[in-house]
Amino acid sequence: MSNFTVHRRSLILGSAAVAMVPAVAWPSSDLGKAAPAFSATDSNGKAWSLAELKGKVVVLETTNHDCPYVRKHYISTNMQTQQREAAAKGVVWLTVASSATGEQGHVTAAQANELTRSRNASPAGVLLDPQSKIARAYGATVTPHMYIIDAAGMLVYKGGIDSIPSSDVADIAKATQYVRVALDQVLGGKQVADSSTRPYGCTLKYPRTST
Amino acid sequence: MFRILSILFTLLVAGPAFGQAVVTTDNVRAELISEAATVKPGEPFWVALRQTMKPHWHTYWKNPGDAGQATDIKWTLPAGATAEAIVWPVPAVIDVGGVINYGFSDEAMLLVRITPPAGPATGTLRLEAAAEWLVCNDVCIPEEGKFALDLPVGPAAKPATAATLALFDKARRQVPTDSPWPARFGVAKAAGDKTGDPTLIVEAKGLKPETVRDVYFFPAEWGFVAHSPKHAAVVTAEGIRVPLKKGDAKAAVPQTLAGVLVLTEKTADGNQRQAFNVSAKFDPAFVPAPMPLAALATDEQLTLFEALLFALVGGLILNLMPCVFPVLAMKAAAFARLAGTAPGEIRRDGLAYTAGVLASFGAMAAIVLAIRASVGEVSWGFQFQSPVFSLLVAYLFFTVGLNLSGLFEISGRFTGMGQGLVGRGGTTGAFFTGVLAVIVATPCTAPFMAAALGFALSQPGPKTVAVLLAMGLGLALPYLVLSLTPALQRRLPRPGLWMDRLRQLLAFPMYASAIWMVWVLVQQTGADGVLYALGGMVLIGFAIWLLRFGPAETLAGWLRRGTAIASIALALAAVVKIEEGSATASSSPSGGASTGVSFDGWERFSRARMTEAVAAGKPVFVDFTAAWCITCLVNERVALETPATRRAFEQTGTVKLKGDWTNRDPEISALLKELGRAGVPLYLFWPPGADRPKILPQVLTEAAIVSELSSIQQAKR
Repeated sequence: MSNFTVHRRSLILGSAAVAMVPAVAWPSSDLGKAAPAFSATDSNGKAWSLAELKGKVVVLETTNHDCPYVRKHYISTNMQTQQREAAAKGVVWLTVASSATGEQGHVTAAQANELTRSRNASPAGVLLDPQSKIARAYGATVTPHMYIIDAAGMLVYKGGIDSIPSSDVADIAKATQYVRVALDQVLGGKQVADSSTRPYGCTLKYPRTST
Repeated sequence: MFRILSILFTLLVAGPAFGQAVVTTDNVRAELISEAATVKPGEPFWVALRQTMKPHWHTYWKNPGDAGQATDIKWTLPAGATAEAIVWPVPAVIDVGGVINYGFSDEAMLLVRITPPAGPATGTLRLEAAAEWLVCNDVCIPEEGKFALDLPVGPAAKPATAATLALFDKARRQVPTDSPWPARFGVAKAAGDKTGDPTLIVEAKGLKPETVRDVYFFPAEWGFVAHSPKHAAVVTAEGIRVPLKKGDAKAAVPQTLAGVLVLTEKTADGNQRQAFNVSAKFDPAFVPAPMPLAALATDEQLTLFEALLFALVGGLILNLMPCVFPVLAMKAAAFARLAGTAPGEIRRDGLAYTAGVLASFGAMAAIVLAIRASVGEVSWGFQFQSPVFSLLVAYLFFTVGLNLSGLFEISGRFTGMGQGLVGRGGTTGAFFTGVLAVIVATPCTAPFMAAALGFALSQPGPKTVAVLLAMGLGLALPYLVLSLTPALQRRLPRPGLWMDRLRQLLAFPMYASAIWMVWVLVQQTGADGVLYALGGMVLIGFAIWLLRFGPAETLAGWLRRGTAIASIALALAAVVKIEEGSATASSSPSGGASTGVSFDGWERFSRARMTEAVAAGKPVFVDFTAAWCITCLVNERVALETPATRRAFEQTGTVKLKGDWTNRDPEISALLKELGRAGVPLYLFWPPGADRPKILPQVLTEAAIVSELSSIQQAKR
């Protein structure tokens, strides 16, 4: 009898949960598990797939060049500096332009290349993600939303670029640069201490028609 | 020339820096306003940063949600002055394509309490504030403003204009009240050593589930709790239970979970939105049961195909629910009877049964759609928590059990038309057996149906119908397959005595289920529930026994029938009693001092006392309240029991009467009826010498009561 009770109770709870299904259908990437696979073309027409990057540490950086929080890290050259540091250590840094077609931050290949040139940026590639598929797979909510995938393809970091959520360039010097710290730990074969931090920035511009 | 220009330029740049109370940016008009026109040294007062946004733009709450940034104010104050943290209004959920933000559209009043230095009562107090905010619609723009406000300092504080005071009054109503109930939270177990989803329980005991909806919990910080678009909260005997999703932070479970709980209470005179500051303690002993359906569902979005599949499986499971057993028995008997007849007939029978089930589910879908069209969003879960429902289902289980035991047979005469049709046999009979299956299955599987309905309800019309029909198909599927597969039919056991024995055996799970429902009822109503439920069952048993004597058209026959009907009526009267009783039970002091109606500082209302005090020319304030009324409780906290209101009551010598309607006190009910009110809260104020009371608004503010009371003082002078 008591089993029956529990069963029915869990059904009540279940019913409550099912009621919210359509709304909470937001995938979220799990730390310590295989990072969601993706394949995409970059602004130079080069095809990338996460599967082929096994053996290398990968950084994903969602971007929207008109977002004040993205601009903060490019105007200060914080982002470019970290891209170069990463490249020097053999890390593949991919900037992901996930703004949907028609939304702020959406770029064509030519525009992406122009931004890389004018900002003197140095990613391994700028992935064009006009349907926000990569962002969706990782559950990215903001720009910039940062992810680190280790050589085994496991997600080892997700969150903000640094510890002070603001659009003020002056805060960068005072902040802990989470991604830099985490990359050093990954490359040093250590566990990432702060592996999930609060992402901050502008709302990622997903396609409007989808829910 | 160049010099003049450069001087002009310097003036332009320097001018706006700290010198104005209003800053207008592209998207926001921001103004620093003060509730005090003159401040008194050392006496705290309130200021506010008032943001008025362009349509479709919003600024952010202290926890901005998945994206965004909270408004920040940095103060520059004279030595000895202090500014406290912002007191935030209740935010709204702003869902931007699935990214959940917490913020304010249209307007936000960010309240800050300032304490001026305790100096001489002359000169001016200069408040300087540098504020930064992020304002977003589709795009986000960081904006800032520098504000300055010069307030004269005098020996006595003077309030600002009435219009400004009204703004502050409105702003205070939008600030959450401290929760009158304690709260705790537990964390579900998850695979490995990980923590699962947290569940929050706000111990608001004795609420009426059907009056509370749209519950949402805003976590105060990023990390431990995810920002969800909705929370499927339920109101149970233990309080408001809010299942949450765990957030992204990796840190250990915190000792407290702070946030704001909002809900809408349906009162007699409309809906009231309420908000409470909640600080929940971690309760390691509380481990919420994992939610199997949720686990299936939350990882990925249900496609229509998956939803249909779940519904089909759900329908199949309905066959295992005890309520359907009598129908199973009938079906089994029908198959046994048909065994050996032409396969075509069996097939027809199976199809007709399926048609009956589907037609019933179709009708249910139509009802669901009709409700949705008329009411808008429909919430189902709650009504299944009602004690009346529990009692009726307990009766049903019991009656079905008696039937299975063989105390009575379902015959045409006994249950009327529906059974008459079922009894007819043949295709029509099979069709109505299908209808009957749904009718008996529905009430006892209500929680399960709620799951399906919950999903179906959130879908567009055609999907709703499809999901419900899939569930119906699931219910009918075993018979349909059996009737269409002669190979299976041959494997059926032959009819015989075993069928009767099986049927009698099935009665026992029914009795057990009835006991369980009574137990549930007791959780909802307290010990009295046992009396009404078991008493009702005895009456039902008595009525059935009387009716078994058959259809004698004699005086004795009619007498028996009359007595039987009276017994059943009496059993149903218990239902009414239970509904009233549930309120009684909840007002018992089991939930601690804060849950009952408190009479501290108030006299108990009686009509005689009210009339007497009014006749004596005293001002009289009457508060009609109930233990289950959240709005009443909030009014007490924010308006009736504040120091300023108490002082005003005292100074005016107001007679304070409180009427407790928790138990539907008849004297109060009569008065409510006279005043054309359906329920509480109701506040009456009799100014001295008035011949009729003033009915105050359902949502009270301290300012409204104080001004009401001060008006009589002025009249006295």
